[in-house]
Amino acid sequence: MELQYSDREIGVSEKYLTQLDRFVLGFTRILEQRTAYVIVSGYVAILFGRSRGTEDVDILIPHLERETFSQLHRDLTEKGYEFLNAENAEGLYDMLCRGMGIRIAEKDRVIPNIELKFLKDETDLCVLRDRTAVKMPGAVLYISPLDIQIAYKLWLGSDKDIEDAVYLWEIFKDNLDHTVMKSRMDEFGVSGEDYGIGV
Amino acid sequence: MELAFDREAAKRERIAFVRTYAAWVKKTPNAEWSREQAVLIDSLVENARNMPLSPRIYIDRVAKTTKARRHLQNKTV
Repeated sequence: MELQYSDREIGVSEKYLTQLDRFVLGFTRILEQRTAYVIVSGYVAILFGRSRGTEDVDILIPHLERETFSQLHRDLTEKGYEFLNAENAEGLYDMLCRGMGIRIAEKDRVIPNIELKFLKDETDLCVLRDRTAVKMPGAVLYISPLDIQIAYKLWLGSDKDIEDAVYLWEIFKDNLDHTVMKSRMDEFGVSGEDYGIGV
Repeated sequence: MELAFDREAAKRERIAFVRTYAAWVKKTPNAEWSREQAVLIDSLVENARNMPLSPRIYIDRVAKTTKARRHLQNKTV
């Protein structure tokens, strides 16, 4: 894997884009016309080669005004996306305001889908503020900082999450700042020692 | 009938595989690992697209899974 790694930017030249990558890119190109965003959770590991599928891609956005969300809802609907939750635009907005995720897929599809949420706490704010740009051929996506991603995955703690954390660590351990990584682990109250994540 | 299954051993084995696979990805050109990964990912996406699943059933299923996961996390914290 050839990576051009710098603070808040990772270049992945000559990456072949999967159908999942194209789905995410199609969605984020519409989303970013209205708001900043950051991709979190399982898709981040998949983007860098992890050999597993996923049903959904988690994306966080800042709190939007009702009118801005209505415009986003209209943009997505016009461009062939469908909201899987039964609510109308008003109901979907209320769900977001209550901290719930809403799901969006290509019309007449269910999987893959995007789970979209408003930022809910300090960690989410930090994830968006320090988001990392991943530059691929003809495309850019913004993902969670990898140190937070690894610590968060360990905190989630399912087998799949731990495997994602191990995978990201193995790919990026030579690039990550181990002192920052250690402080992230402390913030989440997790240790990676049992899984060979040695910081 | 009780099945002999060592969950911890299976977990260790999967993590070892993840590590081995990551090592392969690291030493393989982007064009190559990503094309091989795409064979898997694209076939999963294709299968999912052909799955006869309504949004309502999917949302119900996700809600149940999320509830079960939260319950498990609360028990282990």
